[in-house]
Amino acid sequence: MTRMEHIALKGTRDGLILYFDPGVEFSVVLEELTRYLRESTEFLRGASVRCFAGEKGYADEELRALTTLLGEYEVELAGWLKPEEVYAGSVVLNPKESPPWQEEGMAEGPCLFVDRTLRSGHSVQYEGHVVVLGDVNPGAEIVAGGNIVVLGTLRGVAHAGATGDRGASVSAGHLRPTQLRIADRVARAPDEEVEAVGPEIARIKNGQLFVERLTGTMWRSSLR
Amino acid sequence: MGEVIVVTSGKGGVGKTTTTANLGTGLATAGQKVVLVDTDIGLRNLDVVMGLENRIVYDIVDVTSGNCRLRQALIKDKRFENLYLLPAAQTKDKTAVSPEQMKVLSEELRNDFDYAIIDCPAGIEQGFKNAVAGADRAVVVTTPEMSAVRDADRIIGLLEASELSNPRLIINRIRPLMVKHGDMMDMADILDILAIELLGVVPEDESIIVSTNKGEPAVLDRGSKAGEAYRRITRRIRGEQVALMNLDIPDGLMSKFKKLLGLH
Ligand SMILES: Nc1ncnc2c1ncn2[C@@H]1O[C@H](COP(=O)(O)OP(=O)(O)OP(=O)(O)O)[C@@H](O)[C@H]1O
Ligand SMILES: [Mg+2]
Repeated sequence: MTRMEHIALKGTRDGLILYFDPGVEFSVVLEELTRYLRESTEFLRGASVRCFAGEKGYADEELRALTTLLGEYEVELAGWLKPEEVYAGSVVLNPKESPPWQEEGMAEGPCLFVDRTLRSGHSVQYEGHVVVLGDVNPGAEIVAGGNIVVLGTLRGVAHAGATGDRGASVSAGHLRPTQLRIADRVARAPDEEVEAVGPEIARIKNGQLFVERLTGTMWRSSLR
Repeated sequence: MGEVIVVTSGKGGVGKTTTTANLGTGLATAGQKVVLVDTDIGLRNLDVVMGLENRIVYDIVDVTSGNCRLRQALIKDKRFENLYLLPAAQTKDKTAVSPEQMKVLSEELRNDFDYAIIDCPAGIEQGFKNAVAGADRAVVVTTPEMSAVRDADRIIGLLEASELSNPRLIINRIRPLMVKHGDMMDMADILDILAIELLGVVPEDESIIVSTNKGEPAVLDRGSKAGEAYRRITRRIRGEQVALMNLDIPDGLMSKFKKLLGLH
């Protein structure tokens, strides 16, 4: 799949919506869209989309270029959305993108819920995020393209951001992994016993794997 | 209609055979009609532990392959009228029996006995699959070592994946002095990791070795600490609430055990 940084396609009850990053020049958007259409011709053929670029306005010739481009792939430009229209229960078709409602400290994407404890010998591998509603015991492992969240105790091996995402994190009610990896970074369990401290999160900061307590304050500050 | 209970562990040498012999004998003392089944084909030793080695004529493979009838292969215990052993074959290997055959056999045992206790071989291969195939309940034995606990965890996962959920745990060979000095894997940790119901805690006890050599299960020895633990385990299997024996271990751990036994 093409890496799209400045456009996103979202399916809503009222049809498809194309989001354009209002922070970049039209040429950037157009180039990405061209690439995207080339690779997903079949998916979009005959579709009708509406576009949204926040408060940004485009020049007339830019809009014409857009209509022409869409037309080449038999996609109809059905109109433009106003900022107040872009909400409601919807499915993001390209999870890699950040739609406009997404703020700092939020992430989305496909997610696998594991509704039990992963015991020794179990291996879970998933492209997206993995949430375990139980423990991950020694001898069990999780490999996730995205984040890993373990509600119980993580004692096994966890590898988040396994496809290279250094922004991924591993968090657990009790973080006691045998080995913890994020993207290309590896950390081992300390050889001495550590006291239980409650929920913790591990992530890469300045190129280093860091573990810190998940405190209420921290959440408040990152969600503000 | 009787019950088929498999005794399993993953790691070898942690006390499956000892548990099978003592639990079965314990149930027989309580007047139950019991059969012990050795599924450790090629490495049979339940017969030795029971002191019945010299009476073997037919074995489990003879039964499942139709060489003889079940009744012909059952060996009556020398102490109890109501206790029998179905020995493993020594000269064949584990593939000589299939899980389907074990299901059929278990059904027959369920009809004839109050309890069938199945001694499972170590490992997670064919022998394990055979042993659990016809069982109604499972008992998982571990010792307080990380490697044994890891294997027990694996086994619990496999039991959960088959239809044998809610296995119960026996922690064997606890050495109170080592617990006190913190030299053993923290028992509380074991219970946290495995997170299943505790059936009992058996202390390390030389009388087990003596009794094994004599072919006389420790559960019959009033002076044996391990025997006392197995007497209590026997009653718990029968659904009784039984207090934890004094293990001479720290109070905090005792209360954790008690809680996991459903005692207060
Ligand atoms: N509580 C105990 N105290 C002292 N020795 C013990 C205790 N429990 C078991 N043993 C000894 O440990 C050894 C292994 O026990 P046992 O044969 O019951 O294990 P097992 O799990 O059946 O082994 P395998 O996997 O080989 O079938 C035996 O020599 C036995 O006497
Ligand atoms: Mg054995």
